Amino acid sequence: MNVAYRLAIALVLGGSGFVGSALAQAGRPGTEEFGLTEKELVQSVEKVEALIADCMRKQGFEYVPADFRTIHRGMIADKAMPGMDESEFVEQYGFGIATLYTGQAPQLNEGYCPGRIGLGEQNIEIFKKLSSADQAAYNRTLLGENIDATFAVSLEAENFSRCGGCTLKAIQQVFKPEQIRATYVNPLTEIINKDPRMKAALRKYAESMREAGFDYNHPDEVDVDVKKRLDTILGGGAPPLDKLSSEQLSSLKKLQEYERKVAKLSTKLQKELFDPIEEQIEKEMYARQVK
Amino acid sequence: MVASPFGKRSVMSKSRVITLCLILAIVLAAAGGAWLAGQGIVSPAEAAARTAPPTPSPILVPVEKRVLSSEIVTRGTARFGTPLAIALAPSLLKSNSAELITTLPLVNTQIKEGDVVFTASGRPVLALQGKAPAYRDFTPGTSGDDVRQLEQALQRLGFDPGEVDGVYDNKTGAGVAAWYRAKGFEPFGPTPEQQAKARVLEAALGDAIKNKLLATTAAAGAELAVKNARTKASLGERTAKADVSTKIADQALIALDPKSLQMARIAADAKVSIAQAAVESAKLEGEVAVRSAVEAQKVAQFDVQLTGEREQQARAEWQNTVRKIGVSVPLDELVFVPVLPVRVEQVMGVVGSSSNGPILSVTDNQIVIDSSLPLDKAALVKPGMEVSIDEPSLGLKAQGVVDQVAATPGTRGVDGYHFYFAVRVAETPTQLQGFSLRLTLPIKSTAGAVLAVPVSALSLAADGTSRVQVSKDGALNYVTVEPGMAAEGFVEVKPKSGSLEPGQMVVIGNDFIESLNRAEKQP
Repeated sequence: MNVAYRLAIALVLGGSGFVGSALAQAGRPGTEEFGLTEKELVQSVEKVEALIADCMRKQGFEYVPADFRTIHRGMIADKAMPGMDESEFVEQYGFGIATLYTGQAPQLNEGYCPGRIGLGEQNIEIFKKLSSADQAAYNRTLLGENIDATFAVSLEAENFSRCGGCTLKAIQQVFKPEQIRATYVNPLTEIINKDPRMKAALRKYAESMREAGFDYNHPDEVDVDVKKRLDTILGGGAPPLDKLSSEQLSSLKKLQEYERKVAKLSTKLQKELFDPIEEQIEKEMYARQVK
Repeated sequence: MVASPFGKRSVMSKSRVITLCLILAIVLAAAGGAWLAGQGIVSPAEAAARTAPPTPSPILVPVEKRVLSSEIVTRGTARFGTPLAIALAPSLLKSNSAELITTLPLVNTQIKEGDVVFTASGRPVLALQGKAPAYRDFTPGTSGDDVRQLEQALQRLGFDPGEVDGVYDNKTGAGVAAWYRAKGFEPFGPTPEQQAKARVLEAALGDAIKNKLLATTAAAGAELAVKNARTKASLGERTAKADVSTKIADQALIALDPKSLQMARIAADAKVSIAQAAVESAKLEGEVAVRSAVEAQKVAQFDVQLTGEREQQARAEWQNTVRKIGVSVPLDELVFVPVLPVRVEQVMGVVGSSSNGPILSVTDNQIVIDSSLPLDKAALVKPGMEVSIDEPSLGLKAQGVVDQVAATPGTRGVDGYHFYFAVRVAETPTQLQGFSLRLTLPIKSTAGAVLAVPVSALSLAADGTSRVQVSKDGALNYVTVEPGMAAEGFVEVKPKSGSLEPGQMVVIGNDFIESLNRAEKQP
């Protein structure tokens, strides 16, 4: 759409009060992950999955591209357990990072495992039929070093920095380089974070966290930090629980306690401080005036 | 008077100018209105032309010269050959059947022919190549195919077993002894128990011989006793009968004598009767004596037979024992393995524990990769086909050949939608066992580099011929081609009309998006 056309629309709609809204909408980010629109998200997911399948095939593995519904199910599976709402989950398991760590491949994990859902049942069945050596190679080829960082989970977390293997290769072909960096922030979040109300809320959040003994300035830092701490304990890779030394198990137990506490407080503050403001800002950004 | 034409004209021209201006304004207004109205009027042709897609620009790609090959890419896990469990059977040469494991090899230890696999109760367990398993002790005198297998193995190892005839003789024993000593062990000779047993059996044999002699002597005596009894019985009977004759003669004399008294006659008769009774008695006594002697003889003869059998049995036992007192190979000291060398795959036994049950498993050194093929690809893979093996992330690389392809899907642990197939890896210094490896099987390949274009560059002409559209100096021309093998999104082409060179640009499609962008940019 060229400028003259936009201007014409603006002149035509001038009296209706729609001008501001239309112009604002022209530059606003999408509401989905990575600032994508719903359509863009679906297209990106389909492209990534097709590229993953192609990459896996070249490595000699069968991989059935997961459809958007499957990926979406994997995305919403985070902090969700049957018979439990999110607050109950957080109360019991924190973020479910260290507390529910098993070291098992997501395909073989029968318990809480968001990564498993987003892989799709067909791929899980393919994986289960492989020998243990092939299973290890399959996940190394598909996911790289961090076998929990599946596409669906990483997409939901808006963090592709832990992805590897064919998943990362496919993501690199579809997403922009800045979206893959660990420092990436969703443009919508960025806009919201720049809002004075949100800035004040973030200050309040950081103060409250510090009062409780946690040094975090933003809620997004918390689960990333828990993951880092877990990686440090495990010393790279994802060894099964029965392969961990007593020192590692002891450190893991401490981290689980830490995760529960910090997740509980962070989630509580998020709900109290950010949710109302975010809701208000989004309403202001995306609301349409109805004549 | 003449009116100033100028002044009159001046008045007139003013009104005319105004009129003209008005007319012009009206004309302009009408023209403007018409123009504006004309802007809104669009003929169907003009509308169609405006809404028609812009002329697309062609997407060009270069003609390539490349080797085309279609391939199947799959995965598999490398392993050594099928594991063979090694267990010990108890030896009859050893009284103590419960052997204890004293040493065990480490996993991956290479076992060659003649090597000591492990030791049990300080004795070696040696490996020889042979298809038939060991099932009995090898002792002097034994014969059969298993002995031949042992002799052949000794010959291969350079320990002379004598003639390879399937008979364990002294030379075989000597070969075995040399083999044992070369491995640092004493050969299995007669044990103190065996020697003591041989002495006991020897003494038993002597006793048996003595008993047999005694029985034979007793039998001979019994025979004489029978003869004596018969003679005695005969003599007694004859004596009694002679007495009867005498008495009868006396009776006749008395009867013929007229002077004899009645009493004398009666007495003579009585004497005859008594003598006749004595004959019967002597006969009976003789018969009893003979019968007793015969019975005694029978007992003696049975004793001879029994002691004879005992002597034979004792002799056989002694001979059997003595025969085994030589260099032997106990059953629990020898393992025949179909192919050697082998490597230790797994050690199940524990040092110090009993040697019962499987102690270790061995595999051959041939690396095999187990894999599977989808149903549609299985028919393309045949035994003997070359396979490229690699694992890019680990830097592993090797070559192999397809060893076997299952005849039916769903065998050897693969699901019903796949066929099992195995790849035999060519000798490689790389450790591949246990790794997941990528297997690439080239199904078909062009003979060298050929002219190739993307499949999308190929189109069909109205006459059914294949063609590509070549861009040259801004013009697009069709070149008729003969398509060949297609793989990796490319197709081999041979020009039939015109020329086609590597690097020439061919059309694979039209860039509508680019055209649209260009159209949008145009004023």
